[in-house]
Amino acid sequence: MALILYPGRNTNKNGYKALIAAEYVGVQLKVSEDFEMGVSNKTPEFLKMNPIGKVPVLETPDGPIFESNAIARYVARLKADSPLFGCAPIDYGHIEQWIDFSSLEIDANLRIWFIPRMGYTPYLAPVEEAAISALKRALGALNTHLASNTYLVGHSVTLADIIMTCNLFFGFNCLMTKSFTSEFPHVERYFWTLVNQPKFKKFLGEVKQTEAVPPIQSAKKPSQTKESAKQKGKDEPKKETKKEAPKAEKPADAEEEAPKPKPKNPLDLLPPSKMILDEWKRLYSNTKTNFREVAIKGFWDMYDPEGYSLWFCDYKYNDENTVSFVTMNKVGGFLQRMDLARKYAFGKMLVIGSEPPFKVKGLWLFRGQEIPQFVIDECYDMELYEWTKVDISDEAQKERVNQMIEDYEPFEGQPLLDAKCFK
Amino acid sequence: MALILHARKTNKNTYKIFITAEYSGVEVKLAPNFEMGVSNKTPQYRKMNPIGKVPVLETADGPIFESNAVARYVARLKPDNALYGSSLIVHAQIEQWIDFSTLEIDGNINDWYRPRMGQAPHHPPVEEFKISALRRALGALNTHLASNKYLVGQSLTLADIIMTCNLYRGFTRLMTKSFTSEFPHVERYFWALVNEPNFHKIIGEVKQTEATIPILPQQKPKESAKQAQPK
Repeated sequence: MALILYPGRNTNKNGYKALIAAEYVGVQLKVSEDFEMGVSNKTPEFLKMNPIGKVPVLETPDGPIFESNAIARYVARLKADSPLFGCAPIDYGHIEQWIDFSSLEIDANLRIWFIPRMGYTPYLAPVEEAAISALKRALGALNTHLASNTYLVGHSVTLADIIMTCNLFFGFNCLMTKSFTSEFPHVERYFWTLVNQPKFKKFLGEVKQTEAVPPIQSAKKPSQTKESAKQKGKDEPKKETKKEAPKAEKPADAEEEAPKPKPKNPLDLLPPSKMILDEWKRLYSNTKTNFREVAIKGFWDMYDPEGYSLWFCDYKYNDENTVSFVTMNKVGGFLQRMDLARKYAFGKMLVIGSEPPFKVKGLWLFRGQEIPQFVIDECYDMELYEWTKVDISDEAQKERVNQMIEDYEPFEGQPLLDAKCFK
Repeated sequence: MALILHARKTNKNTYKIFITAEYSGVEVKLAPNFEMGVSNKTPQYRKMNPIGKVPVLETADGPIFESNAVARYVARLKPDNALYGSSLIVHAQIEQWIDFSTLEIDGNINDWYRPRMGQAPHHPPVEEFKISALRRALGALNTHLASNKYLVGQSLTLADIIMTCNLYRGFTRLMTKSFTSEFPHVERYFWALVNEPNFHKIIGEVKQTEATIPILPQQKPKESAKQAQPK
């Protein structure tokens, strides 16, 4: 009986791992032909081979094997003293370490980047950003290693190189543009050398690096309406340029029928207030001269301390703010993510100082007596700031509020680099 | 030269390696004065592991990182180790369950755990998705354990050591009895294994958490990226 590989889609890089390994050890794998992804892997027979129903699976005369790395290891071992496993125990240890590294540090982060963009899971910009950051960290470490090594272990191709290259293939092919990978020149050199080895090329074919990050597609379920951010062309996803700040999301298995009425925001259930937030915002925006006498006075005239509260915020990590435009972008990103609170909040964020590190401080007006819980839950920047409720009976604090609303300079003795308004 | 492990004593990845060593009759020592977030940032440490994560095993022939790789290496130091099985297919099945326990169980447990510990941003829809993926994996594991006492064959293998250590974090910090009661064979398997003498010697008394850990505020992003929580 032959060894039969069910790769899922024929272009699945996890299938290539086993095929390339087989090529190196001179073993023949038969690739299943009638396999239909999403159908064939849900049959009872398939689930007997792999109870979680994922692909690939290798059928052998002695039983089935799942998990692509395990399959590749099995295939590599079919030849005794396989060079794919190195010669000494320490080589073996190193091969295993790079196999695991390539799966957990490279592949895992590529997938977190990729899958939401394909619409299979909710897209959240900060999650994507964290994955890209972790991926860069891993590629940096790999780059360091490859600066003085042609292969991952020893002086020839081992199983670690096969698995690493297949995982990188997914990244180069679908996600990582030249400008992204140019930061890791040794990784680039390594990747292109390996994909052009005959045994790799036989299965991978001509490999082309993607010219753009794939756009964010709307969720696959038909009932999902709003999650697709329109991605304008390619860009390295940065916090600050994400235009569609994700609003509070429903779980992926949302209802199929017409959109339900939104659940009531608890702030709508508060007793009515004499202060109308929109009126304040209009006053703020329309006052061009005599700001202090007209807008600030008007603010305190309409302010309702029962229905609203004022808060100072102070960024906790100001020593990170070493580059001006990065700092300003950070604040911009925060304000975009606050979009969900627009009906219930007004804010001023100041970037303070003439030289780094710049200080970021803000003033916020919220409906209610507390910072709204849904804002804390949905806007992750909130945790990056210290929040203090303003005591309006304290004249000094009141004056500070005034200064922050009108962009008063110097603020606490320092010039303002930037002032952003959330309204 | 003895084998020296740079790690925190009470981390489940450390347990993996020490339990494997116990079964294999191999001596591993914990590096003295290891301080998480400090010791793993030195240039010497980076030479051993360029990404600076923990654990790392120092051997006479060089260092090894990635906890599963270290466990495999330690197991292999004993010739014909029963932990590895005796035939190619058994070996492959051990590898498949090691990978499954890492990618399907540990991966999702960590993605649930780290944001709650303030080491990554917490997003309810993401957490929900990860818990759902974990349930799917536990369901598959439960099915397998309905007719198997161990993951592979008739006796304990390296797959069981790694799986149990990965489940440990789930049981003790995240998954309450009402959560795991949906997977009775997994429960039975876990409790049987943590009470085996070689496991008990290293891990000690195990108690299932009464509640999922609460969500802590996010720590300084830079620090938490560098002090990577060992996987």
